[in-house]
Amino acid sequence: MSAVYVVLEERDGRVSRASWEALAAGQKLAAQSGGAVTAVVLGATTQALANEAAARGATQVVRVEHPLLAHYTSDGYTLALQQMIQKLAPPQVVFPHTYQVRDFAPALAARLNEVLISDVVAIGDGPVFTRQLLQGRLAGNYRHHGDGPCLISVQAGAFRADEPSSASTQPAIETFTPQIDASQIRTKPGEPFRGTAQTVDLGSAPLIVSVGRGIKEADNLPIVQELATALGAELAASRPICDNGWLPMERQVGSSGQTVSPKLYLAVGISGAIQHLVGMKGSQCIVAINKDPDAPIFEVADYGIVGDLFEVVPALTEAIKAAK
Amino acid sequence: MKIIVAIKQVPERDAQVRIDSSGKWIEESDVQYAMNESDAYALEEALQLKEKHAGEVIVVSAGPERVGTTIREALAKGADRAIHIDCDDLAQRDALGVARLIADAIRTENADLVLTGLQSDDLGYGQTGVILAELLGVPHSTLILHVEKTDTGLKVKRELEAGWFQEIELPLPAALTIQSGGNKLRYATLMGIKKAKTKEMRVVNAADLGAPAAPVAALESIELPKKQRSTQIIPGDAKAAAATLVEKLKFEVRVL
Amino acid sequence: MTSLSATLAEPQHFSLPEKLLFLVLVIASAALFWRRFGPILHKILQSRKDPDFHLAPIGRRVWNFFTEVICQVKVIQQRPLPGLAHAFVFWGFCAFALVTLNHAAVGFGIGFLDPAAWYGRIYFYLAAAFAVACAIGIAGLFIRRFFVRPRWLGQKVSSESGIIAGLIFLLMVTYLAAFFTTDAAPAARVLWWIHTLTLLLFLPLIPHTKHLHLVLSPATIFLSRDGFSQIPPLVGDEDFGLVTGKDITQLVSLQAYSCVECGRCTEHCPATNTGKELNPKEVILGMRAYLNGPGPASELPILTGEGGVYVSQKAVFQCTTCGSCEFQCPVGIQHLPIIVGLRRGAVNTGTWEDDYGSKLFNQLERGSNALGISALERDKFIQKQELPIFDGTQEYCLWLGCMGGYDPKGREIVAAFARVMNFLGSSYGVLKKEKCTGDPVRRLGNDLLFQQLAEENLKNLAQNKVKKIVSICPHCVRTIQEDWKAYGAPPEIEHHTEFMARYADKLPRIADSGVPQVSRLRPGNETADDARSVTGHDFSRAESAEKKDWALAPAKSEKIVFHDPCYLGRYRNVYDQPRELIQITGTLVEAPRHRERSFCCGAGGGLAFLGEETGERVSHARAKELVATGATTIGTACPFCNTMFRDALGEMNGTAPQLLDVAQLIARNLGG
Repeated sequence: MSAVYVVLEERDGRVSRASWEALAAGQKLAAQSGGAVTAVVLGATTQALANEAAARGATQVVRVEHPLLAHYTSDGYTLALQQMIQKLAPPQVVFPHTYQVRDFAPALAARLNEVLISDVVAIGDGPVFTRQLLQGRLAGNYRHHGDGPCLISVQAGAFRADEPSSASTQPAIETFTPQIDASQIRTKPGEPFRGTAQTVDLGSAPLIVSVGRGIKEADNLPIVQELATALGAELAASRPICDNGWLPMERQVGSSGQTVSPKLYLAVGISGAIQHLVGMKGSQCIVAINKDPDAPIFEVADYGIVGDLFEVVPALTEAIKAAK
Repeated sequence: MKIIVAIKQVPERDAQVRIDSSGKWIEESDVQYAMNESDAYALEEALQLKEKHAGEVIVVSAGPERVGTTIREALAKGADRAIHIDCDDLAQRDALGVARLIADAIRTENADLVLTGLQSDDLGYGQTGVILAELLGVPHSTLILHVEKTDTGLKVKRELEAGWFQEIELPLPAALTIQSGGNKLRYATLMGIKKAKTKEMRVVNAADLGAPAAPVAALESIELPKKQRSTQIIPGDAKAAAATLVEKLKFEVRVL
Repeated sequence: MTSLSATLAEPQHFSLPEKLLFLVLVIASAALFWRRFGPILHKILQSRKDPDFHLAPIGRRVWNFFTEVICQVKVIQQRPLPGLAHAFVFWGFCAFALVTLNHAAVGFGIGFLDPAAWYGRIYFYLAAAFAVACAIGIAGLFIRRFFVRPRWLGQKVSSESGIIAGLIFLLMVTYLAAFFTTDAAPAARVLWWIHTLTLLLFLPLIPHTKHLHLVLSPATIFLSRDGFSQIPPLVGDEDFGLVTGKDITQLVSLQAYSCVECGRCTEHCPATNTGKELNPKEVILGMRAYLNGPGPASELPILTGEGGVYVSQKAVFQCTTCGSCEFQCPVGIQHLPIIVGLRRGAVNTGTWEDDYGSKLFNQLERGSNALGISALERDKFIQKQELPIFDGTQEYCLWLGCMGGYDPKGREIVAAFARVMNFLGSSYGVLKKEKCTGDPVRRLGNDLLFQQLAEENLKNLAQNKVKKIVSICPHCVRTIQEDWKAYGAPPEIEHHTEFMARYADKLPRIADSGVPQVSRLRPGNETADDARSVTGHDFSRAESAEKKDWALAPAKSEKIVFHDPCYLGRYRNVYDQPRELIQITGTLVEAPRHRERSFCCGAGGGLAFLGEETGERVSHARAKELVATGATTIGTACPFCNTMFRDALGEMNGTAPQLLDVAQLIARNLGG
């Protein structure tokens, strides 16, 4: 009897990394009851996804297939999963906490008279689910009390996706076809697109490499540019760099420029004056490279390297290229 | 266009966090409250839609008496009237319970559009808007940055991960959860506050809306998180430090 | 050739037709005067009454009247040569009072001052002396306005000024010429009539030109608001500041009509001097144009968009509230209440749409400081510096403020001042929680938010039983002491330079011999030789050196230029204390514009939070001036000035002087 179903999400035709993390969380949860873990994939054609799950070590896979699931819609996924859950009755269902899951899982839970325990960062014995409250200043422990399935979503990065174990030799794959009528899909999704190519949208950039006066001259910028390219990050700068015309004004981060909150903000040769700090203090992770150990930027950084950027940055670029 | 905006009053970002005697929530006595951030953006979106297409903006908020301040702030910024769901036991309800409360209070309004913020700054479930849509039986979308009215309903801009966006079309009536940062927020003005004094604020007692069901997902206890943010200075020469940093970026920050 | 015993010639006899003509002309002149002046007076009186106006303390008003009007002290002091010329014209007018009366009386045959009598002779000779001075004065002013053309008088040549100057000159000349003829001569009669016609022409011209100040400015100065940059309270539910004509008060009207267009306000305005749209003179003249146009009962908004007819909203929000304009004005116009009043009108009604402004207001609506930083950062700073927490038992509460609590430079100043207080054994503590005093919000005109901040802070201070506050920031000092009064009773507060100056004799001085007494080295960063050679120190380390407030050992020969903060100098009249402290640790050097003429750093009026400036940056302009003094150190007394100059100096690649607050200058002499 499978205790835990883990709903995997697709990105660009493959299972997303966050889903593998959810699978790991599911395995941890299943270990408490000694049950098995079933992977669930959704879509119009799910063969490839199912194979991927099997190759990753999933012993049981459910393929929820329907033409109307070709593109994600809240109605489609909710209906499909509601029917699947009502038929297969898993006691626990795990989702990765992605934008997509946030869009439908609460509605799915409500339909089952349940409540999604969202954005879980730890699973303790019980099971007890830990979530962050007050923007990380508190941790809260939750228990599930309902009669129906326990639905949870796990935070990206909270559970480590295991390295793929050997492919499952006899994966049990079943296909479930939900009943969905076109009239039940009430929203019409468009094709995903990026922000306008011309303007620099630092505000939504997930990775930013920012350069300050430590770079000394415009001619030295390529060093940092290469780092940004290697990381796949946007290039930004503190005010003096833009004032000098070395980079366009729209790349300025600070009180008179843009306010950013990327996943990673790498400050190179930036001292950390208040006018700059107010523009990037919302970053999730701040890394600073500066030769001055007293630079105020180190007060707010999560990681810091005290050193000459002309040596550290090229070394970092090499290391990143090697790791990718 | 009749728009209802559900807002939540949450502890201020700078609030001192001390766990109260019950161990289930923070000490509220010296905490100051403010409007939830993404709700402020939802309100702004509603006000802009009203300015473009005429109509009415109604704010609804559940909570004890102190919630009145936040409601008045919303009225000061331009909402037309308000519904205060007087409720002292909000913490005892789960997301479904809260959404049921709100749905029951606003159902008869038959709004064209219901907006909520993406998630609250205190509990951060991010679910109320979606469940509300389900309970009211209307289509919804989440993480919305921009709303446009069309002949057939709405066209909205939704945020996707990693810098991607998507446009979604949906008919009215509908519900949307609004992401922060889509608009520039207007500030509360003296004139707004004075006008707010004459606007209607209807109080609905939670008790009148039915007794709450026992929570399905219950918060049992809270504690201070073990990890505190402090700066890790990575030692070593350029090459060694770079290598260590890449490790961190890969496994701890997870951006590689 | 006449001898010195010549007296003023007065025609002895006027025929009846002449007398009648004279009477008619007098009546006509007076009527024409009233035709223009009457409505102006009416507009002023029709304006709303000032809610906070008190005639008391009358002593101050009388004193100001005496010094500014009678003695022309401000006119002369702030612009010596033209000021003196004007003073002579004015004194000439005063001296001429009796002359003119007598002159008219003569026309009716009832002259009362006999030129032959001893008292007449003395008086008329005295008047003659003034006439000469006045004539020279007015001629000089004419040449200056029309040929020298100082830029603050504007591009356009004012023909009315020329006419008036000509008339005054003619009056003086016709008076003086009368000494060179006799009573009976026809020349006397001609001169009398020319003088008379000139007078009668002059009178109705007064209310049509800026010479209205002849009538109004004595009243303007006498009735001016009590206090510098005095922002009036809002009254009632409909008052949002200066929105429409109905909000204009009597004082504002009176002041708007008193403007003589001298341009002293323009000359000293940091915005005008760096190419911004704002020109304080234009704000006042814009108000006047509005009064002449829509008028005080009008409901048309005063602030229009760019290039508007009356006052530009964009210009009004470029003001740093430095106060130079108000300080300089010789006729008693108080620009700041008007500018802040216009801002209030826009902000309180939500018609000011500015991204940075909205962001600032939203940040303060939901957070504790103007920078939008979590209060936890302030807690961390307090812990790291091991600052004592105020618990009601200490004598002083050390107020950090937003800059002192969150800005890296501000924090260094706090740390340095704490060292000084520790050295002096002062009893002090830092509050657990602080909210922004609301200074930027107050100056930008957001009364709703300001009230919230003031009330919360006052409550916090009362709960903590704070009696005395000392602060490193002049903006906090001003706002707490003056602006919070509208919402409660703030505790005593003083600036840290005032505090330190009281203990000046206890603070270690630099030996006059120039040998540094203290040489605090940061291990590994500088050699002992570097520390001892003051003149040859390495400026390229200015960036890192400025953080170590004891890195460059002080010596008496070190030249320190002090920049007077607007909110400490003009606003609070504190000029000497910081200087006294600087002289403990080096040689004081003055910038060309110093003390009351200090040139703003550009951060005030909420502008530090409003993003990009157009044109040259105010901070850079001032920094250039300070650097040009050749000083090796710039001394500041305000964390905003400090941060603004840090930016400006940072762009002077390698040759910048070091930048230190007075507290840091003192702290570096402390041992241990």
